[in-house]
Amino acid sequence: MALLRKDIGRYPLGIWVALIALTLILLAWIMQAYSLLDWEGAIRLGIQNESFSGEAAERAIADVERGIAIADILWALPITIIAYIGLLRKKIIGFIAAMMVFGVCVYFPLFYAFRLSMNFEIVLAAIFLWAIPSLLGIYGLWINRNLFNTN
Amino acid sequence: MIETTIITWIIAIFGAITFLPLFVAQLVMIFKPNSQKAKDLIIGKGEDWRDKTHYKSALAFAWADLIIMLPLYVLGTIWVFNGQLWGYIIWISLGFLSIYFSIVFWVFEKEYTYKSVGCIAYFTYFWGFFLYWGIGAIIHSVIQMSI
Repeated sequence: MALLRKDIGRYPLGIWVALIALTLILLAWIMQAYSLLDWEGAIRLGIQNESFSGEAAERAIADVERGIAIADILWALPITIIAYIGLLRKKIIGFIAAMMVFGVCVYFPLFYAFRLSMNFEIVLAAIFLWAIPSLLGIYGLWINRNLFNTN
Repeated sequence: MIETTIITWIIAIFGAITFLPLFVAQLVMIFKPNSQKAKDLIIGKGEDWRDKTHYKSALAFAWADLIIMLPLYVLGTIWVFNGQLWGYIIWISLGFLSIYFSIVFWVFEKEYTYKSVGCIAYFTYFWGFFLYWGIGAIIHSVIQMSI
């Protein structure tokens, strides 16, 4: 796809696609941060699905979701920020960090889709907001990989 | 072309020791999800699914691991031994995922798995190896790429 190599302003379109995907992903991490601060409020907003005040099965899956939220904030969020800054400065560290973040953002929508018990709207949102933009981001970065220097 | 070192070999072998049992367990989970073998491998010896949600989560992790983690491990390792930069980039990505899941599982599974398998197994092959491999692979790959 030569289109993704076409320069639009300072960067090729493929890099812009990756930056847009990272912006969408940052929104996900903001939602996760909010969930950790007020889990029941996040359920009311539709960000989370399972409550800690429900039955045993619901509490168990809420435990999984809290684990994912903590990992997102402690590990994925800082890497996303590194990816953002690195891509803007055309550094290889940004390229690598973005690939790492995109990997997680393809993995989890797949996990949600296969789990089946997840609310269908959340699965769709995860696929359209994170998985597809991440796949496009991976492709956009890959075909522009020669732009990234290692200095 | 990036030359492999003795550390590269150690990380590759440690990766095989860490990930291959996981991939085998996930294959058992996909093909025989309700067998005692799958439960023994995924939850712990003699354990049972806590409920349908627990079972479905384990099945979802199995599919996602085999679709994402297995190809990353195989491709990364092949390219690393071909001396290609992209092998190390994939190792870094897999290392990132490995550390990420160590945090996820520390929060939600430790309470059940730690009691079931004990301290030594938990901090080695059940959980610890994934964290150690992730850290080792990232550090080694960054060093190799910067030489």
